[in-house]
Amino acid sequence: MAVPEVKEKYAGRIQEVTLGAGSRGKTVAIGGESTLPFLHFEGTVANRPAIAIEVSDREPDDWSPLLKEAWGDVMGDPAKWAAKAEELGADVIALSLDSAHPERGNTGADDARKTVRKVLEATTLPLIVYGPGQKDKDNEVLVAAAEEAKGERIAIGNAEEKNYRTIVAAALANDQVVIAKSPMDVNLAKQLNVLIGDMGIPKDRIIMDPTTGALGYGVEYSYSVMERVRLAALGGDATLQQPMVLTVGYEAWRTKEARTNDEVPQEWGDWAQRAILWEANTAITLVNTGANLLVLRHPQSVALVRKAIDRLMAGA
Amino acid sequence: MPLSDDTALLDGTTAGAQAPDVAVRLEPAGVTVTVPAGSLLEDAISKAGLRVALPCGGQGRCGRCVVQVKEGSVRRRSTVRLGAEQIEEGYALACQTLVNSDAVVLLIDAEPRQERIVGGDLADKVARESVPCDRRRAPVVSAYRVVVPPPDMADNTPDFERLQREMALQYGIRRITPSLTALARLPESLRNGEWTVTAVIEQRDPDVALALDPTDSAGSYRLLDVFPGDQPPRLYGAAIDIGTTTVVAYLTDLATGEVVDGLSAYNDQIARGEDVISRIIYGKQLARRVELRERVVGTMNGLLDEMLSRKRLTRDDILAVVVAGNTTMTHLFLGLDPANIRLEPYVGAAGKFPLVPASTLSLHVHPEALVDCMPAVGAYVGGDITAGALISGMTEGEEIALFLDIGTNGEMVLGNNEWLISCACSAGPGFEGAGASSGMRAVRGAIEEVWIDPVTFEPTVTTIGGDVPRGICGSGMISLMGELMMTGIINKSGRISPDIPTKRIREGHNGLEYVVVWADDTATGERDIILDDTDIINLLRAKAAIYAGAAVLCESVGLSITDVDRVLIGGSFGKHIDVEKAIQIGLLPDLPWDRFSYLGNTSLQGAYHALVCRTCRAEIEDIASKMTYLELSADNRFMDAFTSALFLPHTDESLFPSVQQSLEARKQGVSAV
Repeated sequence: MAVPEVKEKYAGRIQEVTLGAGSRGKTVAIGGESTLPFLHFEGTVANRPAIAIEVSDREPDDWSPLLKEAWGDVMGDPAKWAAKAEELGADVIALSLDSAHPERGNTGADDARKTVRKVLEATTLPLIVYGPGQKDKDNEVLVAAAEEAKGERIAIGNAEEKNYRTIVAAALANDQVVIAKSPMDVNLAKQLNVLIGDMGIPKDRIIMDPTTGALGYGVEYSYSVMERVRLAALGGDATLQQPMVLTVGYEAWRTKEARTNDEVPQEWGDWAQRAILWEANTAITLVNTGANLLVLRHPQSVALVRKAIDRLMAGA
Repeated sequence: MPLSDDTALLDGTTAGAQAPDVAVRLEPAGVTVTVPAGSLLEDAISKAGLRVALPCGGQGRCGRCVVQVKEGSVRRRSTVRLGAEQIEEGYALACQTLVNSDAVVLLIDAEPRQERIVGGDLADKVARESVPCDRRRAPVVSAYRVVVPPPDMADNTPDFERLQREMALQYGIRRITPSLTALARLPESLRNGEWTVTAVIEQRDPDVALALDPTDSAGSYRLLDVFPGDQPPRLYGAAIDIGTTTVVAYLTDLATGEVVDGLSAYNDQIARGEDVISRIIYGKQLARRVELRERVVGTMNGLLDEMLSRKRLTRDDILAVVVAGNTTMTHLFLGLDPANIRLEPYVGAAGKFPLVPASTLSLHVHPEALVDCMPAVGAYVGGDITAGALISGMTEGEEIALFLDIGTNGEMVLGNNEWLISCACSAGPGFEGAGASSGMRAVRGAIEEVWIDPVTFEPTVTTIGGDVPRGICGSGMISLMGELMMTGIINKSGRISPDIPTKRIREGHNGLEYVVVWADDTATGERDIILDDTDIINLLRAKAAIYAGAAVLCESVGLSITDVDRVLIGGSFGKHIDVEKAIQIGLLPDLPWDRFSYLGNTSLQGAYHALVCRTCRAEIEDIASKMTYLELSADNRFMDAFTSALFLPHTDESLFPSVQQSLEARKQGVSAV
């Protein structure tokens, strides 16, 4: 008896987006696949999922002591931090301009320019630059970052439904990529892509962040949202074909399991191992539903995730 | 006299001391009322028999009750939607402002309590051809002239039985039971009329089959009243639509079937919540349900009294009442507890309601008149829809029709002569003109159409009756939203773009706003007519709920929304609804325009037909029995359909190809300029 043919032929293909240009020693292409994750027998998985390491322009006071232990002194200097992240295997540096937040330093456009310049000089990797997540300050520092890094093809974010015009305009004017972040819903993700697309930015310069939760904190929900996004995209819906970036480190490291070892049951086991696995597990789960770029925090989970991706790509 | 915002004094009672009385003069009416110091301005206005609009229920959210304090000291508990400059000029929200001293207050744009129904709603809409009814053949109440042989010692049958005997002989009408009022009047009427009387007979049909043949004399008869002689009595009936936001009534001559007057007013229950859910919550305690009942009856009586006085009639002249309302409104009107409508699994006390004597309900009509409430199908599909479905004519052919009643609750029915399925979703009061900064009902002075120049962004408006603009009604909102979207003033998620070069876009008290009419060009000359970000979001939600409901309803029977042959629209949109604009904003599906018909207030027209034609009444009963009810809150497809409809025109642009085309065409047209 013949084995039935199970291969799907999809009408759509994920958009390929390239980060890095100009002085970057390396460029990173993400997306471009014509099938569901790692179904190498069915279509092409043009690019392996990439890993970005998160670097803050301000020594984080709310990060787990485990992360401080792992990174040590470099956390006080984004340039050194980025250089070390490159050394430890990052594909991309995700620079967070957190010091611009009104309650965390309220630094301005000039400081942002200096930081971006410093980090660009300290690493050969492409950059993502995140604002502090406050509308006015995001607009201020992301415009500055986009201008300062002109020619380097960085990604700036987050552009959200409530605040996207200025950020998208800055990306357009300076030839950068924009990250479109929507709250875990396939319709909302699509709507934001349409709004951003209506401003005239080409499709190869939009990455979408459909938002995730960590393992045990909603990852299964975001898994199915991303799966729906990906199926619609492969089915031919051009407004959902952007590659996906997920801030896994941020989500995983704010879970109780990763953040603390106080008053936790003994069965939970070794804290460091648990926390690292929490981040790595969340990341590997999401890679299997279509994540193209992961923003991580701990060097050891970066290594674990890289190893998993190596195996998943082995059939390519 | 300078105004002071005294924050220390008189919020509620001061210990020990009785608050002194203050005199408040209300302009332009020139009425003065006395209230205890510390009273709400709104209470003083009500006490004077005047009224300010309170669409948000007096919660200080909508800013529609704004007044200007010309003299005196007041304290503002809230200044929502008022700017510093306006407060400086004495503007205050009547529902949030306490009066501390003698004061002079100017009421702005005081909406008349009741409004004459204008345009097509009164006359031409009620004679729709689709309803198989000549409006005269079989009203619920008719008068019969009867000559009764006087009694003598040989034939001493009592008066009523004598009348009964003659009715059977002369008209073939048997099985009459008398009302007590009729019995009390009968002996005198017979003798004063020298043994000729006019009997007012009410006929009710025991079941649908009999009623479908109105010439059949079966059924039950009731002697409602009796008059001496053979002067034809004045036989009138009232058809009333109890909407969550608006109550509308027709006064009808039952002898001719003619609608002689029509009036609408805001449902007075609005003071206790904008939507059915908040009213149900408010009515948890019996005393509050009594209050809600009294409020709606008060609104209904206000309409009845005004129409009676205009037509020089008395209460006793109204001999039959038909009421159509959603399930919650019907419950509250009848004094039934609606609590379970809100709770899973969402069931009301009844779907079919008994005939209730008007005297029990304190309606200002003949005390023996029976009030007939149209049957409900489900917790959120009520008598307004069963009555409306009749008017839509959707049950007459094989074509698949979608009947949408667009009001505070968006109810819809899909089907044809063989099957009917219905559902409901909450749309909010936006399309009835309430709940928006410059919203108003579809009455004279309401903006009903808007065009915006794509280059200058200047609007042109038309109003109902061609009057100077006072506000924007539901159809105006749809038209305005469509134009704002097509000209790019708002983006596809409904946000106003700050980059458009026009002074009509500005930062308001509620985010960005677009000025439709400058204050100087309005009826009051006081305030700009605007649409702000919050208004747009509310309208966006309303249209998304309605579209999503319709999409899920179609999907539930395996159809696509584009398979629908006819879309029949009911609602309080005044003369018409602009189908093109309604498609542009994704309220209506993208179908050829000739598939749409706007029917006006279908609930009221259905109630009217039930009043003047027993066949129609029976058909409504039949429709209610046939109709299936889909509970959307138990359907997980709805939330997804709703989120995807929460975009202009829709997240799935391929569902609206004509809108895509015109957007493309506009883009090229504008760039060519």
